[in-house]
Amino acid sequence: MSVTSVAGGSGARRRPATRRPSDPAGSRRRSKPLRSRLVPYLFILPNMAIFAVFTLYPAFNGFNISLYSSSNARTFTWVGTDNYARILRDDAFWAVVRNTAVYAVAFVAIAVTVAIAIAVLLQAQRRAKGFYRAVIFVPVLISPVVVGLVWNWVLERKGGLLNSALASVGLGQPGWLIEPNLAMGAIIVVAVWMHAGFYILILLAGLQGIDPVLYEAARMDGASAWVQFRSVTLPMLSPSIVVVVVLATINGFQAYDYIFTLTGGGPVGATTLVVQYIYDSAFRSPIRYGIAAAASALLFITIFTLTLLNWLVGRRREAV
Amino acid sequence: MNLSRDALRAAGAVAGLGLVLTACAPGGGQEESQPTATEISEADFAGESMTYVYFTDGPDEQVTRDLIAAFEAEYDVAVNLEILPYSDLITSVQARLAGDNAPDVVRTADLSPFRADLLDLSAFLGEDYVDQFVPAHAAAVVTDDGQMLGVPSDLTLNGPFVNVDLFEQAGVPLPVVEEPWTWEEMIVAGKAVRDATGVPYAFAMDKSGGRVSTVLSQYGTQLVDKGKMSLDTGKAVAALQPLVDLMAEDSMPRDLWLGSGSKYKSANEIFLAGDTPIYLSGNWQVGQFEQNAPFAWAAAPNPCAEECGGFPGGKYMVAFKSSPNPALSAFFLEFMNNAENQTSFVTASLNLPTRVDLNESGLTYPARQADMDVFLADLARTPEERSYANSDPAFSGSATALIAELDKVVAGEKDVPTAVADLQVSIEALVTELDG
Repeated sequence: MSVTSVAGGSGARRRPATRRPSDPAGSRRRSKPLRSRLVPYLFILPNMAIFAVFTLYPAFNGFNISLYSSSNARTFTWVGTDNYARILRDDAFWAVVRNTAVYAVAFVAIAVTVAIAIAVLLQAQRRAKGFYRAVIFVPVLISPVVVGLVWNWVLERKGGLLNSALASVGLGQPGWLIEPNLAMGAIIVVAVWMHAGFYILILLAGLQGIDPVLYEAARMDGASAWVQFRSVTLPMLSPSIVVVVVLATINGFQAYDYIFTLTGGGPVGATTLVVQYIYDSAFRSPIRYGIAAAASALLFITIFTLTLLNWLVGRRREAV
Repeated sequence: MNLSRDALRAAGAVAGLGLVLTACAPGGGQEESQPTATEISEADFAGESMTYVYFTDGPDEQVTRDLIAAFEAEYDVAVNLEILPYSDLITSVQARLAGDNAPDVVRTADLSPFRADLLDLSAFLGEDYVDQFVPAHAAAVVTDDGQMLGVPSDLTLNGPFVNVDLFEQAGVPLPVVEEPWTWEEMIVAGKAVRDATGVPYAFAMDKSGGRVSTVLSQYGTQLVDKGKMSLDTGKAVAALQPLVDLMAEDSMPRDLWLGSGSKYKSANEIFLAGDTPIYLSGNWQVGQFEQNAPFAWAAAPNPCAEECGGFPGGKYMVAFKSSPNPALSAFFLEFMNNAENQTSFVTASLNLPTRVDLNESGLTYPARQADMDVFLADLARTPEERSYANSDPAFSGSATALIAELDKVVAGEKDVPTAVADLQVSIEALVTELDG
């Protein structure tokens, strides 16, 4: 079989006439008719079209808006990078960046640790496995707004469930939602409670993929439970852990809805994160769509960079 | 690790596509030109339809539906009433404006987000139409060049309520409407009732820039006035310090203030639970308390300091230039706000009138007449410039800044004079940005 030049003229190059033994797949691909090659793309076309219209276009348009000033989403004035400069000079922005960093780091660390611990415990569970998994997954199904309202009732200083319980055993009444440090701790705990179920599910799937022979071999070598966990479970689970870390990082940086209903970003901005800063810029007086779009673009760049780093670290570990 | 060439090409293609898609100013819409005024002929509207985006405080919904039904029957017009939550109204209408799908008429408490898109009603209803409304209440809708961008449809006034049962139980005399109490007298009375009855608080108020502006007003100052920052340092400190002191000693609910972040937070649940003898809110609570309060209550006169009276707010009905039938929109606004229909609306919804004739003639409310009279009496005592303050484009943002600064004081991060000084800087910046 011979393949002739794909482009005419003097610049056309001749491809090898014979199939290379080392490239059977490439040969098969060339031999497929155009129609067959298009089919997979046609299957994903509807999804990609929706993605393009409802995600890609708004994302690019959002970046475009970040270069303009607008208070009504109707009339736009070109300001170039002024919105970015204004944000970077804004003390309030750096305050929410600090809050977001503290929240995201603490949330990722605690959520991943808790999820691994519970997943390992559930994996070892012999009875009522399904029941425990269902119970742990329930918070994932609850609307974040409802989560905020329910935890508000739990954490209220006067008459809240937690403080009532503490008072019944003679303890004080901490202001969980009105003391800045306690409020930050409270929203992290609630976030872990809300998201951990999903992470546990991913880790359980990873744990089930670990070959039991590895544990058997470790036991035969006299490895303790802790050594088995450190030397078998963690390395074998690392692909799932990378996924969970990426998801938790994204969740950490995008947190807003339940925090808004729980604390409103207070007290005194102590739990105001970047997404609320974006929301307030766009939808509370004075309305500044350009500032909100610029802050969104900065958030996107941050999440994208962190996700890429996570992915690269994960790939490197995998390669090792 | 290398990204594959295919991946790079794909990313480049997506970015290129995005740049092409967004290579022009966002929004895409051009400035709407003001429709030319035409003689309104009712016969032309037969068979037409229009959309009215509305938010409700509760008691006003049914009377609105009744008025719309009357309009539809009389002029053979279909009015599609869309009721949105108040918190979503501005963003929803903004999105519809950006998508060239604006409603014909909207009820709103804030004109600023739509100002550039509003229909000049004077072109359809005449330049004298605005004279039918009390000038102070109409200030927000009239531009410097004489355009009328909406109709002030109903008025609200901030003011306190008292739990009559608690006052009587404590043997503390109720305030007299004709001779309003002072701030000091009000706080002394609240504490006396609290101490005698054992309720948790002496005084409560909504966490709201409007409510704190009421206190500022009573101490003789306001945030903005006719496009300028007008907050007086000494008066503002005198006004805010008592609130801070009350929260510091837990005579006023500190948790409500700090626990709600940047959100508006009403204290009506605290009042309805009988946890405070005095609650500073506004006349829109009358209908709800009438239905839900399990104790005797009454509207009380606003306390006086340097000034008396409350702080007015209100709602406006506006039409858009992009309305397919601006004449119908203008005609609908006129119908809904004529003397007869505004009487129906404000009495049923327990609000205050904006029309000159209704203010002169007085109104008879179907319930709680005595309480509404307290608000009407306070409205007469309110300095006129407070209405102008509320309608300034920079007011809303300044009120948000006021709450943020007061938050910091309550949390112990600043003292009141520092917060007032910082607030003045914020207001100056907002005025420069929004008032031009």
